[in-house]
Amino acid sequence: MLKWFQRVGRRGFLHMEAGFNAVFGPRLNPLYHLGALTFLFFWVVIASGIYLYIFFETSIEGAYDSVEYLTYEQWYLGGIMRSLHRYASDAMVLTMMLHLLREFTLDRYRGFRWFSWITGVPLIWLVFASGINGYWLVWDKLAQYVAVTTAEWIDWLPLFNEPMARNFLNEAAISSRFFSLLQFLHIGIPLFLLLLSWVHIKRISRPRVNPPRGLMVGTLASLVVLSLLAPAVSQGRANLDQVASVIQLDWFYLAVYPLFDIWSYGGVWILLGGITLLLALMPWLPRRHPEPVAVVDLDNCNGCGRCFADCPFGAVVMQPRTDSQPFAQEALVAADLCASCGICVGACPTASPFRRTSDLVPGVDLPQLTIREIREKTLAAAAKLSGDDRVIVYGCDFGADLGRLEERGVAVLALPCIAALPPSFLDFVITRKHVDGVFLTGCREGDCYYRLGIEWTQERIGGKRDPYLRKRVPRERIDMFWAGPDRSNQLAQKLDEFRGKLRELGPYTKPRSSHPEGDSRWNDKGVRNVTDRME
Amino acid sequence: MSLIEWNDEFSVGISAVDHEHRELIGLINELYANLSGGAPEITIVDFLGELYARISAHFALEEKIMRDRKYDQYEDHKADHERLLDEIRDIMDDYDDNESFSEEILGERLKSWFSDHFKTKDARFYKHLV
Amino acid sequence: MTYGGVYNAKWLRYIAQAALYGLFIAVLGYFSVSPAYVHLPPDQALIKLSFSHPGQPKGGCRERTDEELARLPPNMRIRVVCPRERSPVFIELEMDGRLLYRDTLIPSGLSRDGTSTVYRRFPVAAGRHHLRARLRDDVQVEGFNYVREADITLKPAQVFVVDFNAKSGGFIFK
Repeated sequence: MLKWFQRVGRRGFLHMEAGFNAVFGPRLNPLYHLGALTFLFFWVVIASGIYLYIFFETSIEGAYDSVEYLTYEQWYLGGIMRSLHRYASDAMVLTMMLHLLREFTLDRYRGFRWFSWITGVPLIWLVFASGINGYWLVWDKLAQYVAVTTAEWIDWLPLFNEPMARNFLNEAAISSRFFSLLQFLHIGIPLFLLLLSWVHIKRISRPRVNPPRGLMVGTLASLVVLSLLAPAVSQGRANLDQVASVIQLDWFYLAVYPLFDIWSYGGVWILLGGITLLLALMPWLPRRHPEPVAVVDLDNCNGCGRCFADCPFGAVVMQPRTDSQPFAQEALVAADLCASCGICVGACPTASPFRRTSDLVPGVDLPQLTIREIREKTLAAAAKLSGDDRVIVYGCDFGADLGRLEERGVAVLALPCIAALPPSFLDFVITRKHVDGVFLTGCREGDCYYRLGIEWTQERIGGKRDPYLRKRVPRERIDMFWAGPDRSNQLAQKLDEFRGKLRELGPYTKPRSSHPEGDSRWNDKGVRNVTDRME
Repeated sequence: MSLIEWNDEFSVGISAVDHEHRELIGLINELYANLSGGAPEITIVDFLGELYARISAHFALEEKIMRDRKYDQYEDHKADHERLLDEIRDIMDDYDDNESFSEEILGERLKSWFSDHFKTKDARFYKHLV
Repeated sequence: MTYGGVYNAKWLRYIAQAALYGLFIAVLGYFSVSPAYVHLPPDQALIKLSFSHPGQPKGGCRERTDEELARLPPNMRIRVVCPRERSPVFIELEMDGRLLYRDTLIPSGLSRDGTSTVYRRFPVAAGRHHLRARLRDDVQVEGFNYVREADITLKPAQVFVVDFNAKSGGFIFK
């Protein structure tokens, strides 16, 4: 049943993402940057909050007036800051909810990802607490409503001897001291939120806490436009002797509040408590079937550190040598952090198909799909091809379904992630003439399931990231289309175009040797494929 | 008689690098011996492939050491590594295409390849370390 | 593709992006303040019953005999000793003859020697009402030892507090 929810949700998101991709392009698609956007809004809230705090009067009498001053007298700066503060907080709730929903549909909360999910649950509470606490400080009618209602709600829990709500009984009851406590909380809770956010992103490498520039600029600009068009205003001075009977609710933060009247305080506690418990238990409902993790072979590992540099989840660390070889370090895979994506294998220099079969054990390998198997499968699939436009398509488990492409007379091989393919494979299949060209596909650009696969692949081929694909490998025989799971038709079309190009290109010819003596040693005695006879 | 004899001059003062240099020299020598002894070409191809992969790994380690020590000639040295790997691929492809590939030529190419890079780029780096 | 076609496509994308940003801020702007929520219907007022009052000690105070005093350390020789437990506070609130609330408020604390507190809200129709509040804070007393009645006129949305302070003489209507 879980899979049904995920599938439906995934399809919904794919539709939305397709729409946004058409308009923004995949690099700037906001749905691929929900976490980063949430951080962005947090930065805006913090910055604007610091500004507001400078002008905020901390007494009960002065609070409302100081905010009114900023909103009207200083509308051009303070007023905008106030509106930014409010709308960025609202946006933060929106993107946070979308973010958790999306990660759920992608099944990125179970197994090794449990930590990221679990640390996210208190973040939800802290965001809401910060926002509700913030509304409290304005001390307008909305604040009054929020104060009284929240206090009554918290009083339902047997925490205090005297109900907190007695502080808000009527005008005479409220004390400046209590009000100061609320302001202090409005710095303390967001600070704790910031700390926990840092913990939340600890188990991934290069976490994105800023959206790409184009998206950042557009989003900030639209918030400023909103702040000018619809400045945030207060709802009349608070007066505890009068009930705040009609409230302009901020539904992002206070959607639950009408439930207090419709149901009861206790009912809402049970509802929210139940949801929180469910969220916290989700990584184990049901447990994810564990996959084999990457395995280091010390005989083939000299501690070069490329796997460590490429792992998107910080699951590979370098540690002092434990065998007798004179190398300084060796790689170590932390089994509880490993995603089994194989990106480390793609980075390993000894994961080369040129090697002796008997020795073909790389420094790091995935037991469920070893380098040896990838070479065997590649050769087997390529052997079935014929013609002058033979192509092997390497794809990934989360991209387009490759089975449909096989019908078109190409070889296909799916890997956990496209970056699990060492670049030497591209060299191997092209220069040994097993195929005429290689086609790479995977997830949508900007949406690699394992975060960095597409980036790494492009950089390795572009000679910007180790291991470089040899420059002598003709790039016109390599093509890529980041189709994602829902663009099979376009993928097939691009493949056909590529094969047309290959037919025009003709068969592969060796580049002229860089060694001065090499040329005279050429002997066009015909093409042989030595590799076929490898054991 | 081996193609390249290990010489203590080759030592660079880092045991890991020396170890790999020794291994690579051993592999080259073994390859040369096989070639002279008339081993089947499949074996030669295997050796060349193994050598290529081991040299790639060796270069990767050297580059890491250079980055860690913030070597100022890193870009230049790395460019040479890439060029050398291309050359080895040239040697491998030349051998694939050419049955009567002279082992002397191959031997000379490998030997000079090793010594040239070693005497110039590597020497500068390891002197820099001292 | 003609130059004009490319030009149009690019501008079309920017317009579409602006539209999506516009949708984003429209959603933000709207739901940040609307729809309005009616927390209390316009023709109603709110009566809040809330006080914090320690009940009388449960009684059974006795005097220590001289021998008992002699056994105690000098700094602890108090003649009258009472059990720590306080009486629960029994409260009744009636409006226009109808019972609004009745409860027995247990004193707080593990030894039941703290204050008894109450906080209850009663949305009622605005207008004239007759309010009667009665309280008993001593188990040894029959009936109620504090009573207050009054005619009150509630304006819509008015907050009317029924407080209690023994030192001020009992119930406070404000």
